[in-house]
Amino acid sequence: MPEIRVTPLGAGQDVGRSCILVSIAGKNVMLDCGMHMGFNDDRRFPDFSYITQNGRLTDFLDCVIISHFHLDHCGALPYFSEMVGYDGPIYMTHPTQAICPILLEDYRKIAVDKKGEANFFTSQMIKDCMKKVVAVHLHQTVQVDDELEIKAYYAGHVLGAAMFQIKVGSESVVYTGDYNMTPDRHLGAAWIDKCRPNLLITESTYATTIRDSKRCRERDFLKKVHETVEHGGKVLIPVFALGRAQELCILLETFWERMNLKVPIYFSTGLTEKANHYYKLFIPWTNQKIRKTFVQRNMFEFKHIKAFDRAFADNPGPMVVFATPGMLHAGQSLQIFRKWAGNEKNMVIMPGYCVQGTVGHKILSGQRKLEMEGRQVLEVKMQVEYMSFSAHADAKGIMQLVGQAEPENVLLVHGEAKKMEFLKQKIEQELRVSCYMPANGETVTLPTSLSIPVGISLGLLKREMAQGLLPEAKKPRLLHGTLIMKDSNFRLVSSEQALKELGLAEHQLRFTCRVHLHDTRKEQETALRVYSHLKSILKEHCVQHLPDGSVTVESILIQAAAPSEDPGTKVLLVSWTYQDEELGSFLTSLLKKGLPQAPS
Amino acid sequence: MDLECSRLLPALCAVLVDPRQPVADDTCLEKLLDWFKTVTEGESSLLLLQEHPCLVELLSHVLKLQDLSPGVLSFSLRLAGIFAAQENCFQYLQQGELLPELFGETGPLGQAAWAVPTVRSGWIQGLRSLAQHPSALHFLADHGAVDTIFSLQGDSSLFVASAASQLLVHILALSMRGGAEEQPCLQGDDWPTCAQKIMGHVEESLCSTATPKVTQALNVLTTTFGRCQSPWTEALWVRLSARVACLIERDPIPAAHSLVDLLLCVARSPVFGSSNGNLWEMVAQALSCLGPTHVGPLALGILKLEHCPQALRTQAFQVLLQPLACVLKATVQAPGPPGLLLRAKGTRAVAITPGLLDGMADDAMTVDALLASKSSCAGLLCRTLAHLEELQPLPQRPSPWPQVPLLGAAVTVLRLCDGSATPVSSVGGHLCRTLAGCVRVQRAALDFLGMLSQGTSPQELVMQVLAVLLECLESPGSSPTVLKKAFQATFRWLLSSPKTPSCSGLGPHIPQFLRELFLVLQKRLCSPCWEVRDSALEFLTQLSRHWGGEADFSCALLASEVPELAWQLLQDPESYVRASAVTATGQLSSRGLHAPTSPQHAVARQSLLRELLRILSTDSEGFPRRAVMQVFTEWLRDGHADMARDTEQFVATVLQLASQDLDWEVRVQGLELALVFLGQTLGPPRTHCPYAVALPEAAPARPLTEALRALCHVRLFDFAFRALFDCDRPVAQKSCDLLLFLRDKIASYNSLGEANPNTNSVEVSPWRRWAGEQTQPQEDQEPEAVLAMLRSLDLEGLQSTLAESSDHVEKSPQSLLQDMLATGGFLQGDEADCY
Repeated sequence: MPEIRVTPLGAGQDVGRSCILVSIAGKNVMLDCGMHMGFNDDRRFPDFSYITQNGRLTDFLDCVIISHFHLDHCGALPYFSEMVGYDGPIYMTHPTQAICPILLEDYRKIAVDKKGEANFFTSQMIKDCMKKVVAVHLHQTVQVDDELEIKAYYAGHVLGAAMFQIKVGSESVVYTGDYNMTPDRHLGAAWIDKCRPNLLITESTYATTIRDSKRCRERDFLKKVHETVEHGGKVLIPVFALGRAQELCILLETFWERMNLKVPIYFSTGLTEKANHYYKLFIPWTNQKIRKTFVQRNMFEFKHIKAFDRAFADNPGPMVVFATPGMLHAGQSLQIFRKWAGNEKNMVIMPGYCVQGTVGHKILSGQRKLEMEGRQVLEVKMQVEYMSFSAHADAKGIMQLVGQAEPENVLLVHGEAKKMEFLKQKIEQELRVSCYMPANGETVTLPTSLSIPVGISLGLLKREMAQGLLPEAKKPRLLHGTLIMKDSNFRLVSSEQALKELGLAEHQLRFTCRVHLHDTRKEQETALRVYSHLKSILKEHCVQHLPDGSVTVESILIQAAAPSEDPGTKVLLVSWTYQDEELGSFLTSLLKKGLPQAPS
Repeated sequence: MDLECSRLLPALCAVLVDPRQPVADDTCLEKLLDWFKTVTEGESSLLLLQEHPCLVELLSHVLKLQDLSPGVLSFSLRLAGIFAAQENCFQYLQQGELLPELFGETGPLGQAAWAVPTVRSGWIQGLRSLAQHPSALHFLADHGAVDTIFSLQGDSSLFVASAASQLLVHILALSMRGGAEEQPCLQGDDWPTCAQKIMGHVEESLCSTATPKVTQALNVLTTTFGRCQSPWTEALWVRLSARVACLIERDPIPAAHSLVDLLLCVARSPVFGSSNGNLWEMVAQALSCLGPTHVGPLALGILKLEHCPQALRTQAFQVLLQPLACVLKATVQAPGPPGLLLRAKGTRAVAITPGLLDGMADDAMTVDALLASKSSCAGLLCRTLAHLEELQPLPQRPSPWPQVPLLGAAVTVLRLCDGSATPVSSVGGHLCRTLAGCVRVQRAALDFLGMLSQGTSPQELVMQVLAVLLECLESPGSSPTVLKKAFQATFRWLLSSPKTPSCSGLGPHIPQFLRELFLVLQKRLCSPCWEVRDSALEFLTQLSRHWGGEADFSCALLASEVPELAWQLLQDPESYVRASAVTATGQLSSRGLHAPTSPQHAVARQSLLRELLRILSTDSEGFPRRAVMQVFTEWLRDGHADMARDTEQFVATVLQLASQDLDWEVRVQGLELALVFLGQTLGPPRTHCPYAVALPEAAPARPLTEALRALCHVRLFDFAFRALFDCDRPVAQKSCDLLLFLRDKIASYNSLGEANPNTNSVEVSPWRRWAGEQTQPQEDQEPEAVLAMLRSLDLEGLQSTLAESSDHVEKSPQSLLQDMLATGGFLQGDEADCY
């Protein structure tokens, strides 16, 4: 029995280092290859030993697919390809291929910068890994090999994020990665066609949440920034080089323009130029509004946002600074934070989650007296705000996507167990679709129906077309033909062609059946009654009464006979060819019910 | 445990058992366990528990709570195991009946929480830590733990199942040791009860018709033989080998992959000296029965063994060669008209045939696998090529090594992939259709071909290999990954090409090949794929690094447009390519290999220098700027800085640009360049190796004051002192190293009797002036001020501080406890909002 097997090595009932193994019709695919930023050792990567025990990685895995550039989805890729030894193809969209190395490089720099990280990949490894990537376009069917094909769909979430359909023969799986069902300031909403996969693997970060509008959060953000600078304070926004940083830049830029504000905004890394370059390059991936505006003005060419110089941090007066890294655990953002923390007029806005072991985590958990190097204590008087701008589908959005794709089964990943449980029940009850939520390391096995592809001869199709009625997707039609199985090939041809090809003579095979009727009349009269009865019922068929007394309906022949032992009973001999199997069975059951009473 | 942690521990235990206060970060509990492990390695667990009763309370409390999170329950089980690893602590916990409650049937084992894999995993890991002493063995026996572990071997979670098997092996080994380091008993019947039980289970599983059961048993045995090398393992094998042999007789062989692992593991174990006759028989049988997927790894494993019967090695090698032999047989014609290979190569084709095929009949299973489907064929060939590639460099590889036929096979496979092969049989025709355009096989064949360059091959064949590589590099259909591998293989073959005295360092046919190669390289440097342009530039750098000084090489290179194209790629839109172009042109320039259109070397060098300085000052990305710094440092180190008319001016300009760079790696490299300059000005660094022969201190190049003035002139100190307090740690560390070296050097000057500049009369401006993030260049510093400043700095103290990670305070146990306490109940809702 064919089956689809799914084993999450990461993102099974948790959020962090997504890595899902899918086995479909003998093909093995790894979906995402993420990293957990909360660990300093090898625990930051998925435990690949469970794959390597199956032999050489490149032999075992047919391909790796990366859904988008966030590190919890692609952060382990250079480790996997350059250190663990995977040498096969890696698929991702064009924007992901362009942006992924920037984020990997950014994170590598931070890791080396702060030190204490072991077994980390190098710049050269990131480049070598990216050279193995095959970039795909949206809705382009890509043949990984003769049997395995993949197709990307727009997922929103971040620039270049995609959902992937993985298909082998008639079996298919859709993996959503992270997605967003409502458009935001620079990206559109996720969309997939009614592809009816055997399985839909969906993220479930906000499985229980109906999120408030992002507009509200944005308003709140702008209000806080504005108030702080109005009062002469400085605003620090720790970010990673790409992603949310650009979103917030657009937000501030537009606001500054509208309000005609003069307070300087700085971006500290110098990476912004490249990031913005990619946002410009991949304008078709952004939403309609940005694309429209692009004609007059490029949204990513910022008038108010300037490059930051280290000396600016000491300048008097208000300013807004975007600085990396996003968790305040090294480098520039940490240095600025230390300088500004003591002033209650200032504010730090954390736009993303911070792992334990970082200053960001400490201030978010409410700690205000921080021990620094050399037993110094830093008193945090500045205001601390946490604002989530992440773009994930909420419960409603997930249900909507499931409805769109119409899968046979759903499997939840990238979420917490309790929230998944709730959504699982909702999906099963409301959509009547089986739903699974395996933990990391657990395998879900789904049986699929055996499907054998058959080639149909052109002649047969033409003949079918000639019979009128164009084919319709929603109305299946019956097609007769002869199946020839030869050299592992299956072909459906007309029976005439089959006979010709195989050099065989045709035998006529007829099915026969006896139907006993209680009728005291003569055989000829019984036959006539049968004729009248059938003629009145089968108006669309050619019913004939032949001179020899027998009745025909298409290829079906009915004769009446009288058994010698019982003159009150007549036997109807019914015979038909296999082509009229359906009609023959129908007639037999009709006649078994008896004939209508003749008018007296 | 330090006092602050002791103080925080009770509050933390209270938070952990409070279901209203969830642990926000899923890494915290893991890190907490790491810390407890470290603590218990250094001190007595018993004392720890006695001094911190809250820990015992925590363990007993978790059992009473209904709505405890599975994470905390799992953590508690693992924690209990860590404590109970020390026997006295185990007894202590036993007195309170805590261990049976945690690990016995009344504990989580019988509760709803058991359905959560984390809890089952915690239970196993707890027991794994606990099982260290005889008391633990009794405990396991008394509470039926071993039976539970048996059932967990088939757990739905891969992690749990694997951990259960590992635990069984651990218990078996512990039991055989009698819980202590005693002499083992060898007789199977005398084995301890626990070991008997495990063995009984393994034996039963080996006979099972359910493949997962057999796999579990085989995995347990493989781990046992892999980890334990005590004599009892030999008795274990004697007891079980017959059952393993039965598996090989089954059709199909169940759990073939695990079986191969076991056989190889037993064969590798040093315990089996002379008594492994039946093992070799079994292996030989497996070699003849296993399908092509599994037989390859077995054959490779056998050939990697140091001691193994020759007949078996021969058999294994034949098995390994079988797929390639089939390919050759199907594609290479016997003596007569030229067959598969190019017409000119007909003679070689004949020579290849006997080498791999002598006395070997086609293996039906191999042929089937090659013909079954494209993926089966590609899979088999890739595995075979990878196995042979692994074997080639090993000292124990079969001898004589069939270098020539293998080369022929690799070339044939490549020709099948690029469609240039002419088949001579129906199988060959099928292979042609199947492998045409198969990138996967092409890559594997190129890797293998590259590896074969290490062997000795006839000159004619080398040229044919180079020709096929050239075709691959030329082919418009070659994918970027194939091209990269083709470049790598070509480089390896050039490295190994036979050298003759008449033709400098390269072989006699190489100059012609190089001319053709550079034509191809020209084309690839213009590829629309950045990956290809980059690989081509990397290849060019490798070539010129090795043969830049050879006349033949430079002649061929300068006759092509390659240097000019490399120069043009300094403007490439892709930063990776710009960086590679910087490295390549830097390398070419240091070898005097400039674009032929350049009028003079000196002019060309000057214009390259200007171009690289432009990149350093204006390129928006770090890679090219870093590459420029590397080139400049190399130039300075190797004395090529003469391309700048005035070295001091060159260093001053570069340091000024590097010091202002936003990328800290550029700043670090700036300091590296400064260090080289320092060495050249003041003499090389002292060797710190205590065993090195002490050479007399070389006389300094020039007087100290003059040298210092030169350093001041290039503003090296401005840069170094500012870098010392850089927010990016590696910059500060590098600067610290540089200043320590400088101080050391000055001391050696003083010891040589040079007058110490009078520092007393100089008013030392505070060193913070440099560190104060001033961006405006300052006036030239006086050497006296620099010396005074150097003395005022605690460089050693700074060096030890900088050796720590920037977040070492946040990563400390105390900080972890504080965070967990602070987070309890703080974050709600969006805690999973990683991105």
